[in-house]
Amino acid sequence: MHRWGMVIDLDRCSGCQACMAACHAENNIAIIGPEESAMGRTIHWIELLPFIEGEYPHIKARLLPRPCMHCEHPACIKVCPVGATYANEEGIVGIVYSRCIGCRYCTTACPYTVRSFNWYKPQWPKEMEGSLNRDVSIRGKGVVEKCSFCHHRLLKARERAKAEKRELLSEDYIPACVQACPSNAMYFGDLNDPFSTVSILSRERRAFKLLEDLGTEPKVIYLSEGM
Amino acid sequence: MKFNRRDFLKMGGGAGAAIALGGGFWKWSQFPVAEKPNAPGVEKWTPTVCGQCTGGCGTLVRVIDGWAVNIAGNPLHPVNRGTLCPKGIAGLQGLYDPDRIRSPMKRIGKRGEGRFQPITWEEALHLVSESLKDLRQKGEAHHLVVLGGRYRGLMRSLWDRFLNSFGSPNYIDNQFRWEEPPVEGLFLTQGIHDLPTYDIENAQYILSFGSGLLESPWSPVQMLRGYGHFRRGRPGMRGRLVQIESRLSFTGIKADEWIPVQPGAEGILALGIAHMIIKEGLYHKEFISGQTFGFESWAGPDGREHLGFKEFVLSEYEPTVVSKRTGVPIDQLIRLAREFSSSQPSLAIGYRDRPFHQMAVAILNGLVGNIDVSGGVLIPRSIPYQSLPPFKEDAIAQRGNSQKRIDEGKGISVNHPYLFARNTLSGKPYKPKVLFLYYTNPLFSNPDPGLFSKALQEIPLVVSFSPYMDDSAQLSDLILPDHTPLERWQDDPVFLNNGFPVLGIRQPVIPPLYRTKATGDFLLALARSLGGQIQKAFPWNDFKEVMMVSLKGVFEAKRGDTFGLQFDEAWTRLLQRGGWSVPSYKNFEEFSKLLLDKGGWWDPVYDFGERDRVFRTPSRKFEFYSQGWKKARSSSSAEGKDSSFLPHWEESKEAGNEKEYPLHLHVFRTMSLTGGRNANQPWLQAMTGQHLFEKWKTWVEINPVTAKRMSISDGDWVWVESPRGKVRVKARLYKGAMPDVVNIPFGQGHASGGRWSKGLGQNPYRLIGDDLDPITGYPTHGTTRVKVYKA
Repeated sequence: MHRWGMVIDLDRCSGCQACMAACHAENNIAIIGPEESAMGRTIHWIELLPFIEGEYPHIKARLLPRPCMHCEHPACIKVCPVGATYANEEGIVGIVYSRCIGCRYCTTACPYTVRSFNWYKPQWPKEMEGSLNRDVSIRGKGVVEKCSFCHHRLLKARERAKAEKRELLSEDYIPACVQACPSNAMYFGDLNDPFSTVSILSRERRAFKLLEDLGTEPKVIYLSEGM
Repeated sequence: MKFNRRDFLKMGGGAGAAIALGGGFWKWSQFPVAEKPNAPGVEKWTPTVCGQCTGGCGTLVRVIDGWAVNIAGNPLHPVNRGTLCPKGIAGLQGLYDPDRIRSPMKRIGKRGEGRFQPITWEEALHLVSESLKDLRQKGEAHHLVVLGGRYRGLMRSLWDRFLNSFGSPNYIDNQFRWEEPPVEGLFLTQGIHDLPTYDIENAQYILSFGSGLLESPWSPVQMLRGYGHFRRGRPGMRGRLVQIESRLSFTGIKADEWIPVQPGAEGILALGIAHMIIKEGLYHKEFISGQTFGFESWAGPDGREHLGFKEFVLSEYEPTVVSKRTGVPIDQLIRLAREFSSSQPSLAIGYRDRPFHQMAVAILNGLVGNIDVSGGVLIPRSIPYQSLPPFKEDAIAQRGNSQKRIDEGKGISVNHPYLFARNTLSGKPYKPKVLFLYYTNPLFSNPDPGLFSKALQEIPLVVSFSPYMDDSAQLSDLILPDHTPLERWQDDPVFLNNGFPVLGIRQPVIPPLYRTKATGDFLLALARSLGGQIQKAFPWNDFKEVMMVSLKGVFEAKRGDTFGLQFDEAWTRLLQRGGWSVPSYKNFEEFSKLLLDKGGWWDPVYDFGERDRVFRTPSRKFEFYSQGWKKARSSSSAEGKDSSFLPHWEESKEAGNEKEYPLHLHVFRTMSLTGGRNANQPWLQAMTGQHLFEKWKTWVEINPVTAKRMSISDGDWVWVESPRGKVRVKARLYKGAMPDVVNIPFGQGHASGGRWSKGLGQNPYRLIGDDLDPITGYPTHGTTRVKVYKA
C-alpha cells in the first residue's frame, strides 16, 4: 500500500507561484473576479503564504507554498456532520461533493486553512468552456473544495499500469504542482517506501512539518532554508 | 560505424541510463504517447514554444477534440526541462481570451474612441498596400516606420528585409525594460550588443545589484531552474545570494542577505566594492594583466597618458564616500568585497540602469576574472541559420534607405523610441506617415506613455498587429490581428545560462480560432501586392517556408542535435569534443520531422577561450576603459575626459524637489504580470502580490513607520503624486519598504484589453518623467519623487 506524501524544499523554492497556476489549470478552479476577491472569496488549492517577521531593515521573510497537508489525523474529517470528507486507504483526504452540505465546519477546523467554499456556481465564458480539464469534476455552489493531490492523476496512472499489465510505480503519478515547479523544489512519492526520494528527504535534518504540535501528522513535509 | 545512440542506450542497460536521465525523467513519464491521436476524446500532446514572455520555454499542449486543455513543460526542451512558470500555464487563457480581436478591423469613430468595424483580409491588404504605394510614388518611402517589441528570430529578419526593399531605414526596437539584463554594460566592457549570459548553476556566490533574478528575469523558468541548482543541486555546496535593492522583493526574501539602497544607487555601491577589491589586492592578477585593457594607466598612440581604472577608482570611490551616499556601513562594504572575491566563481548581476552604472557592476566580474569561465559571464554562439538570398533594391528603395533615421540613430544602440516619439511631434527630421506596431504597446509599457499617445495622434495611418485590443491598438486606424502563439509557426532562437544555443520551434497546436492571420504571412502578401523588386525579394508562400529555408543552415552546420533527454546531451557533447557529429537525423526531411516532434534543436557545447567571440571591443580584451564607446562617440563630438569612458557614478537629476515630494518612487515587476502583456489572464491576476495577498489591483507599499507619520493605515486609498501626474491606489504597509521609498507594481491600469484587464488598477509609468539618459535615449531609473496622501 502506498502512502502518498510531498516534500517542499524551501531553499530551492523561489516563490514563483507556478504551482498555483498549474493547480488552477489542472483542477478547474473557478475564476474569482476582482469584486469577489476583495471579499476574500478566492479559491486556491495550493497557495503561497508569506511570513514576514522583524522590523526594517532587519527582516526575515519566508514564502511557503501550502497545499492540503493530507494529515494522518485530519481535523476536517472529525467535524464533518455528513461524512462528505474522508481519507482513503492510501492516506489521501478527499471530499464527496454531492454529500457536502456547505456547513463549513471543516474550513474552520482545518488548522492550515486549506479549504475554500464555493459562494457561487463557477462560470466560464463559453469561449473557454471546452478548455476545462475533462478529468476533474466542476464543483457546484455551496460546497467546500480543497487540494486532492491530483487524485484523478492517480486513478489514470493506475488504469494505465493495469492496461500495461504491471504494478503501479510511484513515478507514474505526480500532482500538477510538482510537475510544473521550475526550481524543482517539490517532490512527491511514497512515504511507505523507505528508499523513495520523499522518504529520504523527510528524514533530513532540515525537515519540519507545519504546526506539528497539533498532532495532525501532515504528509506534506518542508525542508527549511539555509544550511 | 553502425553504432548509434539507441544501441548504446540498450547496452548501457537500465541502471546507467536511469541515473543519467536524472530528475527530468519522471516528469517525462506524465506524457503517454497517444496511439490514435485523432479519435474523439483521445488526447494528443503537441510540442511548441510558449509565447507568454521572452523566456522561450518548450511546452506540450494537451489537445482533446480540437480544444487545447492544458499546457505543460516539454521535458526534452533544455530551457525548461518539463517545468513551467505561472505565465506559461496561463497561456491557455491567452488563447481562449473571450475578448480577443476576431477579424481585421477598421476604425470608424474618432481616434481612441474604440469604435471599429470588421473588414475582410482582402480589404485590409488593399488599404495598407494602397497607402504604401502612395508613399513610394511621392518619394516618401522612408516615412514608413515599424515599431517592434520583444520577440526573436526570423520575423525580425523579415521586417528588415521588407523595409530595405521598400526603402525605409526606420525599424525601431522598443524593447527597453529596466529589469532587463545589463545590455549596455556588456557592450562597454566586451563590445557585444546582446544579453549577457550568467552561468548561475555553477556560481558559488551571486551579488545581485537590483536585478529581478527571481521575479522578472528574461527567461524565468531557466533562471529558476538555475536557482534551484545553485542552492541545492550540488551536494555539499550551497550558493550564496546577496540582493542589493531598494525594496524587499521576492529575490530579496529568498536571498541570504538583503541590503537596502535608494533606487538607482546600486552603481556607486559596485564602485565602492571594486575599490575595496583593488585596495586589498583581491583581484585576479593573471586575467587583469593578460585579458583586460585600461586597468593600469596607459599611453595612447599619440603618446598621451590616460588614466587607468585602478587609479581612478582608488582616488574617487573611497568607502567613506560610498557609504555616505548609499547608507551601507563601511564594514559591510569590506565584507562584500572579500566575500565576492573569495567565493569563486562569483557573479555580479545588475539591471538596465544607466550605462556606466551597468559597467560598474560588469567590471566586478572582470576584476575576479569570471569572464568566459564556468560559473561566470558567458557569450553564447549564435544559431547557424542559412541567410536569406540577396535581393535588389530599386531606385526608390535606395533613395529611401539613404535617408536619416527618424530617431537619428546615435549612441550605443541605434534604436531610440523616445526620440522617435519626440521627433514625430516636432516634425524634425520628418513626420512618419505610416506606422506599424508589431508586438509592442508603447502606450502602456513605456514610462511617459502620454508622449507616445500624442505622437501616434500625429501619424495619418497607424496599423497594429496585436491579437488583443491593447492600449496602442485602441488608438490605431487598422488592426490586423496576428495569431496568438499557440496558433502560429515561429522559430525561437535562445540560449541557456551555460551558453548553449537552442532553437525552439513554435508550431500551431490548434487551427486559428478566429479570422486572424500570422503577421509574417501578411507581410509576404503585402510584398506580393506591392510588386516589382519588393515582390521579388519575397519569393515565399508563407512564413513556414521562410523558416524551413533558414533551417537548412542549422542542418548543414553539422553541430548539435535535436532535443533529447539529459543523457543524449552528454553523449552529443562527448562525440563533438572528439570531432564527431552523429546527430539523430540523416537528411533534411528527417531533421525537420524530428524538429517538430521533439520541439527543436540545440548545440550542447560551449567553446571556452575563443577570444574573438567573447571580446569584440577594439582592443579584443575586456575593457575597463571603453574604447568602443569612445569610437562611437568621437564621430559626433570632441574628445571627452578619461573618466567619462571609465565606469563612474553619475548623480541623476531628480524629478521633483525633496520638500514637496518627500518620497522616492520605485516601480517593480511581479512574476505573474511581468510585462503587462498578460493582464487579460485571470489566473495571473489572482496572484499578483502574494506577499500581501493582493490581487486584481494596484497597491503602493509604504514602510509602516512612514505611513504612521502620514496617518495612513493599511488598506486606505491614497493618491501617489509626482510632478507629472497622480494615481489612486491602495496603501499597503510593508516592512520590506524603505522608509523614504514607496513601491508600486507595474502591470495593471490598462485602458482597454477586455473584461479582465480594462479599468483595473493604475499604471505607475504615468508618474515617471521623460528625463532621458543621453547615451541610451531611455528614461533614467529611480529619479522620480512622489508624495502620498489620503484619497
